[in-house]
Amino acid sequence: MTASTLTPRHIASRTAVALLGGYAFTWGIVALGVAGLYAAGMEFHDAEHLSYIIGLLVFLTAFLVAFATRALGRTALVLVGGGALMSAVAWWLQSLLV
Amino acid sequence: MFPNFRHSMAWLHTWFGLALGMVLMVVFFFGTLSVFDREIDRWAIPDTRYEPQPMPSFDKMLRPIFEDMQPDAAARAMTAPLVDGPLPAHFDTPRSWGAYTTHRDPVLLLFAGYEVPGAKDHETAIWANRTVDPRSGVALPTDRLKVGSEFFYPLHYSLTLDWKNVGYWIVGFSALMMLMALVTGVIMHRKIFRELFTFRPKKNTQRSMLDLHNLTGVAALPFHFFFAFTGLVIFAYIYFPVTHTQLTPLHDHHEMMEAKETGLPHDRAGVPAPLASVDAMVLEAQRRWAAKGMAGDVGYLNLTHVGDANGYVSVYRAGTDRVQLAGEGIHFKASTGELLREDPPPTVVARINEFLTGLHLQHFKHWLLRWFYVLGGLAGCACIATGLFFFVEKRKRQHAKAGTSGARVVDALAVTVVTGMLVATLCMLIANRLLPDTMPDGWAPRGLMEKYFFWGAWVVAGLHAWLRTAQVAEGRLAPAWREQCLAIAALAVAAPVLNWITTGDHLLRTIGSGYWPVAGADLFMLTGAVLAALAARRLQRKARSPVAVKNPALEAGHA
Amino acid sequence: MHDAVSLLLAVLACVIGMGWLALSMDVHWKQVRGNTPCAPATVSTLRLAGAAALLASLLLCLSVDSPSIATLVWFMALAGSTMAIAFTLTWRASTLKMLVFWTGQDAR
Repeated sequence: MTASTLTPRHIASRTAVALLGGYAFTWGIVALGVAGLYAAGMEFHDAEHLSYIIGLLVFLTAFLVAFATRALGRTALVLVGGGALMSAVAWWLQSLLV
Repeated sequence: MFPNFRHSMAWLHTWFGLALGMVLMVVFFFGTLSVFDREIDRWAIPDTRYEPQPMPSFDKMLRPIFEDMQPDAAARAMTAPLVDGPLPAHFDTPRSWGAYTTHRDPVLLLFAGYEVPGAKDHETAIWANRTVDPRSGVALPTDRLKVGSEFFYPLHYSLTLDWKNVGYWIVGFSALMMLMALVTGVIMHRKIFRELFTFRPKKNTQRSMLDLHNLTGVAALPFHFFFAFTGLVIFAYIYFPVTHTQLTPLHDHHEMMEAKETGLPHDRAGVPAPLASVDAMVLEAQRRWAAKGMAGDVGYLNLTHVGDANGYVSVYRAGTDRVQLAGEGIHFKASTGELLREDPPPTVVARINEFLTGLHLQHFKHWLLRWFYVLGGLAGCACIATGLFFFVEKRKRQHAKAGTSGARVVDALAVTVVTGMLVATLCMLIANRLLPDTMPDGWAPRGLMEKYFFWGAWVVAGLHAWLRTAQVAEGRLAPAWREQCLAIAALAVAAPVLNWITTGDHLLRTIGSGYWPVAGADLFMLTGAVLAALAARRLQRKARSPVAVKNPALEAGHA
Repeated sequence: MHDAVSLLLAVLACVIGMGWLALSMDVHWKQVRGNTPCAPATVSTLRLAGAAALLASLLLCLSVDSPSIATLVWFMALAGSTMAIAFTLTWRASTLKMLVFWTGQDAR
C-alpha cells in the first residue's frame, strides 16, 4: 500500500464525511421513516424502531462508502444534502399531521 | 487516495480497529461478565446469597415500602438545578411505582418516580429506589455496591462516564466501528471458507496471531455482528433523538391519541382515589395468561398516577421462556381493579424489535445459551486482543530498525487494556472482600472505595505496562505481558480464597449445596488463574528462544 | 432431563457436522489421514453428511425450546463447534480419525 498519497488531511476529510455526512444522512432516514411510516398508518413506536434498525444499517454503509469512493465531494453532497432533504420532508409531513 | 477498494477497507479495519479496539476490549469483556452480573452481585454481597423468589405480595409487603420510599441525597442533588426555588422536604406525588423480578436475582428492586413541584420542565421526575429481601421486606443496607449489575454492566454500555452521556456516545461509536471491522474484515479475508478451521500456533507469532484473530472473528461472526448491532438499536434513541427534538410535536400528538385509544389516561385527574387490591389484579392477570396458553410469572409490575382517580396498574409477564422481554401486559383501573386493557398481540415490527433487544438483554432462562454467550463474548475479546498483537508483531521490527516507537506505544496500551483490565477487575473483587462493612468516618462509602480500587489498580497496571514494554522498541517481546499474567494468576486465586475466609463459602460447600452463582464465580476465576499461569510459562519460553527471522512472504497482502 | 439430553445431542451433532465439513477440505484431511488424497466421492459424502448433521442439530434445538431461543442456541453451537474442531485439528488431529472410520487405512 502506498502511504505517500494518504495525507493526514485526506484521512481527516474522509473521516469527516463518513461520520458527519453519515450521521446527517441517517438522521434524515430516521426522521423521514418515523414521519412517513406513521403517516402511512404504522404504529408510532413501530415506525420509530423500524427507522432506527434501517437507519443504523444505512449509517454503516455510508461510512464504508465514504472511505471507498473515488468521488468524495459528491458523496459528501449526497449524504449531507440527502439528509437535509429527508429531514425537511419529515418536517413537512409533521405539519400536515399535527 | 486509496489504490483500490480492498486497500481502503483494509486501511479502515487496521486504523479504526486499532483506535476503537481499545474501547471495544472493555465493552466486550464487561459485556461478557454482565451475562452473569446478578451472580457476581451475589459474590460481592454475601448477605444476598439465597435463592431467587417469586414476586411477593404487593398489598402486604410492597405497598408499605413504596409509601415509605423517598429519593436519596444524590438524587436530590441531581434534581436541584432543574428546579426554580428549593426542593420540597418530602415528595408527595408519585408518578409511578415499579417492581421487577428476574429468575436469577433473589433481591427485589423497587423504584418510584415523583413529580417535582417547581421544575422548569414539567416532565422532570425525581427517582427513589430500594433493594429488598422479598422474603421479609427488609431493605439491603445502603452501602452495598452491586459490583455486577451496577458497576460491570454500566461500565459495559457507558464506561460509567455519565456526564452529558459522553460514555454512551463513545461506546456507541465503537459499536459502529465494530460493525465496520466485521464487514471490512470479511472483505479483506480472501480465504474465509478455506481457512475457517485454520490455526497454526507453531508458525511465527504474526501468522499464528492472525490465524487466531480470523478464527475467533469468523466462527462467531453472527454473534459479534448481532451484539454490536442490537446494542446500537437499544440506545438508538440517545444517538438519534429525532422524536424528542425535530419530531416532538408528532410524538406528543401520538401520546395523546394512544391514551384515548387504550383507555390508559395520559395525565392525572387531580382527584385522589384509593388503591384496590393489587394482588387480586395480579392473580387475574395470571389467570388470563393461562387462559391463552401462556401461563407465567409476573416479571414487571407498574403503577401509574399513584393515588389518583386516573391511576392504573400494569402487570407484565416475565419473558423467561423466549427471547422477547416482558410482555402480555394487562392493565387495571387502580381504584377499582376493573380491567382496562389487555395488550394486543405485538405487530410484526414490534416482534422484530423485541427479538433484537431481547437477544441482547437476555432475560431468558437458559443456562446453556447463557454460557454460549460467555463463549461468544470471550471469542470477541480474543479477536480484538489478537488483532492488537498482530498489529504490534507486524511492525515492531520495522519500527525498531527505523527508531520509531509506534509499536511500543501500541503494545503498552494493549497490555493496559488486556491484562491490565483483568488485574483491575480482580483487585476490585479483592477489595470487596477486604474492606470493612461500614467505612470509618471521613472515608468514602464502601461502594465508592471499591470503584477507586478498580480504577487505581488499572492505572498502576498501565504504568507498569509503559515501564515494562521498552523492549518492544528494540523489536523484542515485552516482559510486561508475562509479569501481568503472573499477577492475574495470583489475584485470581486470592479472590476465591478471600471469599472462603471472609464468608466461609468455599467451593466444597457451594458446589455441595448447589449454590452455583458463587461456585461458578469462584471456578471461573480459578480457571482464569490456571490459564494465566500457562500463558506466563509460554511467554517465558518464548522470551528465551531467539527472535524469529522476518518472513517477507507473510507480510505481503496486508495493510 | 430430557431437554438436557437433547441439547447435548444437538451440540454433539454440531461438532460432528463441523468435523465432517472440515475433513472435506484437503488440508485438514491430510492433517488427519496423512498423505492419502481424499476421493472426490468421499469429499461429497463428507459435505452432505456435515450439512445433514448441522440440520439435525437445528431440529434438536427446536425440539427443546421456542423457535426464538432455539435459533440462538444453534448459531452459538455452530460458533463453539467451529472453534472446537479448529483447536482439535491443531493439537489432536488424530482423534478426528473416528469421524471417517469407514475410509480404510492411511498411506504413510
